[in-house]
Amino acid sequence: MKKAFEVKNRAVVDAAELILAEIKAIGADEGETWVSHNILTELYYELGKISMVRTVFSDKVSIKLLKDKRKGAVTLNSFDPVDIKQAVAEAWQASQSAAPDEAEGIAELQENVSFSSGREKPDLDMMYQQLVGLLADVKSDFPKISFDSIGIEHNHSEKVYANTNGVRLSDDVGLYQLSNMFVAKDQDKSSSFNYFGTVYEDPSERVTDSDRVRRVFDDTQQQIETEQFEGSFVGDLVIMPGCLENFIWYVGDTYLQDGALISGTSPWKDKLGEQVSSPLVSFSLVAEHPDLPGASQLSGDGYVAENMSLIEGGVLKNFSLSRYGAARTGLKRSANNGGTFVFDRGETPLEELIAGVEKGILLGRFSGGNPSPAGDLSGVAKNSFLIENGKVTKALSEVMIAGNLGDMLRDTVAVSQERENSGYWLLPWIRVKNVTISGK
Amino acid sequence: MLQDHLHDFVTKHGFTGYTELRAQQNRNRSVAMLNGSLVSNSSGISKGISARVVKGGAYGFASATGYGEDPDAIAQVVNAASQNAAFLDHHVQRGQTDFASVQPFTRKDGLEQDVAVEQSYLLGMVDDLDSYIAERFPKLLSRRVFARVLDMEKLLYTSDGVVSHSLVPRSNVYIFMTAEDKDGQPVELYKVLGGYGNFLDNFKNAEEYFDKIEKQHELLMQKAEGVYAKPGIQTVILDYDLAGILAHEAVGHTVEADFVQTGSVGGPMFGKQVASEKISLVDIAHTAFGELAPVPVFVDDEGTPAQDQMLIENGILNGYMHNKESARKFGHQANGNARAYDFSDEPLIRMRNTCIMPGTDKLEEMIASVEDGYFMTDMNNGQADSTGEFMFGVPMGFEIKNGKLGKAIKDTTVSGVAFDILKTADMVSDTVSWTNSGMCGKKQMIPVGMGGPAIKVKINVGGRA
Repeated sequence: MKKAFEVKNRAVVDAAELILAEIKAIGADEGETWVSHNILTELYYELGKISMVRTVFSDKVSIKLLKDKRKGAVTLNSFDPVDIKQAVAEAWQASQSAAPDEAEGIAELQENVSFSSGREKPDLDMMYQQLVGLLADVKSDFPKISFDSIGIEHNHSEKVYANTNGVRLSDDVGLYQLSNMFVAKDQDKSSSFNYFGTVYEDPSERVTDSDRVRRVFDDTQQQIETEQFEGSFVGDLVIMPGCLENFIWYVGDTYLQDGALISGTSPWKDKLGEQVSSPLVSFSLVAEHPDLPGASQLSGDGYVAENMSLIEGGVLKNFSLSRYGAARTGLKRSANNGGTFVFDRGETPLEELIAGVEKGILLGRFSGGNPSPAGDLSGVAKNSFLIENGKVTKALSEVMIAGNLGDMLRDTVAVSQERENSGYWLLPWIRVKNVTISGK
Repeated sequence: MLQDHLHDFVTKHGFTGYTELRAQQNRNRSVAMLNGSLVSNSSGISKGISARVVKGGAYGFASATGYGEDPDAIAQVVNAASQNAAFLDHHVQRGQTDFASVQPFTRKDGLEQDVAVEQSYLLGMVDDLDSYIAERFPKLLSRRVFARVLDMEKLLYTSDGVVSHSLVPRSNVYIFMTAEDKDGQPVELYKVLGGYGNFLDNFKNAEEYFDKIEKQHELLMQKAEGVYAKPGIQTVILDYDLAGILAHEAVGHTVEADFVQTGSVGGPMFGKQVASEKISLVDIAHTAFGELAPVPVFVDDEGTPAQDQMLIENGILNGYMHNKESARKFGHQANGNARAYDFSDEPLIRMRNTCIMPGTDKLEEMIASVEDGYFMTDMNNGQADSTGEFMFGVPMGFEIKNGKLGKAIKDTTVSGVAFDILKTADMVSDTVSWTNSGMCGKKQMIPVGMGGPAIKVKINVGGRA
């Protein structure tokens, strides 16, 4: 929910205003700060039992100041005025040794607004019931699943961004998050580990009501018995949604974000407005979406984030650049440089998408090295299945895939109608051709 | 340095039941230059207090930022942890007894390393290194130089009467260089300098590192002319960087007792041959080969005195890494593997300095013994799972043809099942080196050391057909 700037926790606002006053008093030209008060409540399961309740109270502060475009920055976890004064002095000292950088700056004056979502207080009893329910459902419906750990958290954070241009933004978020790690076991045999994460507002929801969750458990149970194959071939990858998120992060890092564009290594640095991938590929960064409570409405550099297309119909529409990255490259600051991705649904039913594969892999998880600056990547296909003549035939182990990210986007030949939702991404299955797949 | 405000609190209030009370501060500094521009210039302190209470086998944990002499603030954290333990105990009714008491002791480790370093010193060092690279190699597509400092200081009191005050400093400089290959595609190579110790000791002047920069650039040029590795099973000599991460990722995680209980391959293989007889693997507590290991741990965060943990001895899997609870369950001895990253983190079973012990072979003889294979020298990340199946990224390596090093190879990946690969180890070099910039992720991040000799194995290479 968006409203005029208003913060419930006065200590957070007071700390932010004190920091700006200290920044001005010490002689800086400009400055900005993020200040937050956070309460994390966690219920943790491991090794066959609900083992721990954990509460973390934390105050977080980050400060940046500029003098003659020389930057100094500090972080601390105290609202104590003495600590704040000392931290600003430390940032000032750092700025004095820094070289000037004309690209440095802070967010321009804009409408001062506040956002809120979720619930401030955790319902620990409800979290306990949700965890007990998940364990009971898995025992009943997926008896071979063995959890290493499950964490159900409620994280309430009230954070304020303030700068010397007069910008005041705040975000009051209280969300639940479930994370886990598990294997499927049958006597001495075990699958690879698997996991899923989800962000949500209501802990009374039954976790196993989700089709995605049931699919992941079911797939993992089928991965206890795996097979290897010898030799290598060039074939198709069908990338599952959770794995696709991994690849999209790689795309951001290699082609779209500050690092790759400032260093000049992005192979797409001159491709804005051009066709960079298959026309079937369209994905966006979102700040607000009815099904994605995990989306952040504030950017890290002090702007209200917006929904923004990255690739539309295969055409590169926007980079994902911060204010600083834009100033360094001479490109436009992006309306969103966050990490909540939505990939447009395609026109191919999943069943048909798989049926079109002569030989390839249904890729559940990619365990690989970071791509090279050119986008080359290789790694192990985990939690994956062989596809032969349009049918998923067997679970695999010790299979590697190698290709190039840019080539993979250009060689995307189908996108599924179906999508899965984690609360912080919304993604389909995609089919990519011409990937090198090698066995033992 | 942290003042001891816990002593008076513990003396006055004592503990009710099994309790660990920890004050901690992590101090960090970061300076980064990208193509000569300063893109990061920051420092930070994460300081606070935590308590973990065990009631009937149920754990309650609480933490709060800020750490001072106010006994009420300390009491609030202890009470919150107690209430969390009581909530859970009420629900689960596990009825376990407390851990057996240990002999009280007090020790201080590494506190002499608490040396203040100014941000400007890091800036100057990074600037000097960056300027040298810019001047010497103007044709580079890009260069990044960044310095990182992390000092972890902990003050621990336990209900058993253990008092431990420790400081583990780490300071590194990372140098990335990117060049264009003959097709105009970017190729990158990075090196990490430094390790255990404060920044002033590790980086006295930039000139000491110019030779390493020259060598790195020479390797990058070779990589730019490099070839793709052939995919499939190959004979590969893994240099210490890769042997170390093999020890950590592919074996170490499978013999952490929590993963063993979940069903890792380390469970059914206990007492069995899992590697060639030439392989022994130890998780070093603090000292190895007459020197401090990269991440020396003398007392863990449960108050257990740290000792080396043998994991594989002459190819036989004979040990796990434990916390107090898993050690009790298995009937083994806990040797100090329970570690927490931040004040707000609970201790988990973590590796410290996993290291494959040296063998008797000379590296030159190992290379000469390979007719057709690879010598892989660097790694850039690694992942493994409970089956022991793993992958590492390999940013630098060479072909070996007829016993001689050949062309450099482009980025690739190696993978396999750890115990299968280690059974193929038929040569192990006689020298060990450490990788001392590693961070391991497992719910929390934690600094770790990884070490090893060069080992010759058969391994799957993720090249291109």
